[in-house]
Amino acid sequence: MADLALADLRVIDLTQGIAGPYCTKLLADYGAEVIKIEPLEGGDYTRRLGPFPNDIPQHDRAGLFLHLNTNKKAITLDISKQSGRVILRKLLTQADILVESYSPGYLPGLELGYDDLKAEFPSLVYCSVTPFGQTGPYRIYKGNSLACMALSGLMYVSGDPDKEPLCTGGEPAEYFAGLSAWVSILAAVGQRSQTGKGQYIDVSMLESLGTADEYNTIMYSGYGAIRKRFYSRHLFLYPSDIFPCQDGYIVVISGASGFPTGMALLLENPDLQANPLFSPILWPRTINWRQLDEIITPYLMNHSWQDLLTRAQELRLPFAAVLDPKMLLENEHLRERQFFVDIDHPEAGRLTHTGAPFRMSETPMRVGRAPLLSEHTQEVLLDLEYNKEDIVILRERGVA
Amino acid sequence: MTALLLENVRILDLTQVYAGPTCSRLLADLGAEVIKIEGTSRIDVIRNLILLDNNTQDDYWNRSGYFLSRNAGKKSLTLDLTQEAGRELFLRLVPHTDVVVESFTPRVMRQMGLHYDALRQIKPDLIMISMSGYGQTGPWANYSAFGMGLEPASAISSLTGYRDGPPLRSGISFTDPLTGIMGAGAVLAALHYRRRSGKGQYIDLSEHEAAIPIVGYALMDYAMNSRLPQRIGNRSPWFAPQGCYRCRPNESGDDNWLVITVCNDEEWQAFCQAVGRPQWAEDERFADVLDRIRHQEELDELIGSWTREQEHIEAMHLLQRAGVIAAAVLNPKQVLLDPHLRERGYWDMIEQPGAGRRPVAKQIGARFSAMEPGPRGRHAPKLGEHNHEVLGGLLGLSEEELTQLEEEKVIGDTPDTVVPLAVMRQALQQPLSAFQQMGALHALEDDYKKQLGIEAE
Repeated sequence: MADLALADLRVIDLTQGIAGPYCTKLLADYGAEVIKIEPLEGGDYTRRLGPFPNDIPQHDRAGLFLHLNTNKKAITLDISKQSGRVILRKLLTQADILVESYSPGYLPGLELGYDDLKAEFPSLVYCSVTPFGQTGPYRIYKGNSLACMALSGLMYVSGDPDKEPLCTGGEPAEYFAGLSAWVSILAAVGQRSQTGKGQYIDVSMLESLGTADEYNTIMYSGYGAIRKRFYSRHLFLYPSDIFPCQDGYIVVISGASGFPTGMALLLENPDLQANPLFSPILWPRTINWRQLDEIITPYLMNHSWQDLLTRAQELRLPFAAVLDPKMLLENEHLRERQFFVDIDHPEAGRLTHTGAPFRMSETPMRVGRAPLLSEHTQEVLLDLEYNKEDIVILRERGVA
Repeated sequence: MTALLLENVRILDLTQVYAGPTCSRLLADLGAEVIKIEGTSRIDVIRNLILLDNNTQDDYWNRSGYFLSRNAGKKSLTLDLTQEAGRELFLRLVPHTDVVVESFTPRVMRQMGLHYDALRQIKPDLIMISMSGYGQTGPWANYSAFGMGLEPASAISSLTGYRDGPPLRSGISFTDPLTGIMGAGAVLAALHYRRRSGKGQYIDLSEHEAAIPIVGYALMDYAMNSRLPQRIGNRSPWFAPQGCYRCRPNESGDDNWLVITVCNDEEWQAFCQAVGRPQWAEDERFADVLDRIRHQEELDELIGSWTREQEHIEAMHLLQRAGVIAAAVLNPKQVLLDPHLRERGYWDMIEQPGAGRRPVAKQIGARFSAMEPGPRGRHAPKLGEHNHEVLGGLLGLSEEELTQLEEEKVIGDTPDTVVPLAVMRQALQQPLSAFQQMGALHALEDDYKKQLGIEAE
C-alpha cells in the first residue's frame, strides 16, 4: 500500500458546517487521523441540511455531510460538561492539531482556549476558523459565505448593472476558509518540525477570500478607479464570457492571441480579420462589445457547445464548457481521469464523490467514507482506557 | 517572532498570471526563496495590467499593480527557455532547488524536455507541481484554460445567477485563487512527506478538478435524487429571509446594498424589533421558516421598504448588534478603508520602486501566534532584477558570461515586445474614461492616495 503524505498527524476536530470540515477532510483524505467530535443531539448541523435520498431526512444520509467528512472518525462528546472536557484533554495528549469553529470566546469560556491549553500541550497546533477572525470590531459579528462575499467587495462587481449584486453559488467563502485553514495548519506543522513548538492560528473566512480580490482593490490603490457591477465581466479581455449557443452555453474566451485570426477562423469568416473590432488591441472590443456580440452571437446560436469547444481549442482559443452537475458526472475527460469515486456507505448506499483535488505521485489521496453519528465513540474511549462500564455511565450522563 | 518555516526551501516558479503565482506567493510569504522565471520575449502578461498611476512610461513592466499583488516578495530571473542555453541554465539550477512550480499547458514542459522525469534525474528528491487547466492526462489535457472558463466548467456557474436566468460567472476569475491556495497546500503536504521519508514527488493539479468540491452539495443531490440545481439569486434553500437589499444611495447617486440572512425564528423576532417593525413579528405569513420561504416575495418587499431608507454600513451594524447576519456590499475602496480589516493588519504596505507605497492584501487568510507570513516589505521584483544574484551567486557565472548571456538575449531586463515599445506604451494606456462612460467604472478619484494615506512623504 502506498504511503500517505500526512499519515503521522492526528487531528481533533471540533468543527461543524463547511469550512472547518473541508479543512479536516483535506487532512484526512491525505492521511491524517481525524477524530471528529460532534454534539450528542444530532451531531454536526450539516447532518440536518441534506440533500437526503428521496428527501427523507436522516443524519447518516446527509449528502453535504457525507461529502465533507470522508475518512474521519466520529465521536459524540458534550464538552460543556466537566467529564467531556476531561476526555477532550486526554485526546489532546495524543494529538498534533486541534481545529475548531465555535464563535470567538466560546472555548476559552470552557477553559479550552489556546491560552488554557498551551502550557499543557506546548506542541499543539490550535486552529480557529470563524467568519471574521478573533480580533477587530467584527469579531463578534455573525457571518456566512454571503456576508463574506459582500464585505470582501467581490459581490459589488458580480452581477448585472440593472439588478442586485450577485453572490457566487456553492457557499464558496466557506471552501476558501477551509483551504486557508488547511494551508495554515500544514505551515504551522512545518514550523513545529523545526522548533518543536505549536502555535495558535486565527483563520478569518473574510480574509481567506482576500486572494480572490484579483484586481478590484488594486484598481483603486493603483489609480483611483472603482469597478462597477458590469455583467461580471473581465474588464481587460473581452470576450471572456458565457454566451448562449445552439444547445446551451459556451464560454467564449479569445485569449491573448485570438484576434484577429483565431476568432475569424472559428467564425468561418476570414474577412473579419480586417474588421477593427478584431484588432489585437483590446480596448476597442471592450468598449464596443455590443457590436462584437452582434457578429459572434448568430454564429454561436447555429453551433453546439461541443463543436465550438473542440474547434476553438484546435485554434488554441481557451474556450470552456458550461457544465452542470449531471454533465460533470458524465464528462468524458473526468471519466478518463477517473476523477469521481464511488464510495459505499452502510446507511446511504453507494454514492459518487469528488475525488482527489490534486494527485500526488508517491502519496495518493485515500478513498473512504464519512462516519455514522457516534460510530467511533466506543473505540476511541476504549483507546483512552475507559472500560465498557465507564462508557455506559458516560452515555447515561449525556457526556459521550 | 520565530523564523518562518520555509527558509531553507528554494522554489523555481515558472507560473504566470493568477493561479500559479498565488501558489508561489503563499510559499514566499511563508519564507521560501521563490525565483520567478520569465523570458524577456515571454514576460508574465500581467506585468502589462493595471500599471500604477496608469503610467506607461519608462520601465512600466515593473510597475503593474496586478503583478505586485501576486508576486510581492519573489525574486525575478529571466531565462529564455526556447533557447538551448536558457534550458541548460534552468537544468543547472534544479540541483539547488527543492520545488518546481509550473502552470503551462501540459505539452509545453514535455516539449522543452523539462518534465518531472527529466528533472528528478538531476535532483532525486525534487518536488514538482504542475497546475494546469484540466490536468496532465485525459482528452482535455492540452486544452488551454483561463480562470474565466474554469468557473463555468467546474459547474460553479450552474449555481450562480438570478432566478430563472442564465448561468453567470463571478466578477473575478474565481477558480484561480482557489486552486492557487490549494497548490500551496499540496506543496506543503509534499514537503511534510519529504521531511519524513526523504522522497520528492510529482503533483498533478487540475484546476478544473480542484474547484469541483465547491459544488459538492449539488453533486450529491444529483447522485441521490437526479435533481439539478436551480439558480436562486442570493436566496438560500434553508433560510428566509435571505437576500441582497437596496439601501439609500450615496450623495453621488450610486446604489448601495445590504445582504441579510435570518437563520431561525428567534433571529426573525430580533430582526423585526431591530428595524422597528414589531408588527412583522406578529404577521402570520412570516411565523416560521416555512411561512417565510412561501411568502418570500412579500417579505423581500417589506424588508426593502426598510433598507431603502438606511445607510448600508450603519444598517449592517444595527442588525449585527441584534444578532442577525448582515453585511454591507462594500465597493473596493470601502474594502481598503474597512476598519475591521485595518485593525487586523490585513494590508501590507509595500514600496514598489518607481511607484510609491501601495496596500497589498495578505494572501494567507490567517494570523499566527508564532510567525508572521507575508512579503516582509519586499516589492514585486523588477524583470530580471535577480539575474546576477541567482546566476552569479548560485551558479557562479562570471560577469563576462552574464554579459554574453545578455547579448544572446538569454537573459535581460527589458521585454522583447512584438511591436516597438513606443507602440506598447500607447496600447497599454487604459481608456479609463471610456470604461466609465460605458458603465464599468465609477468616476475616477484623483485624490485616492490622500484617501488611502499613501501620499509620498
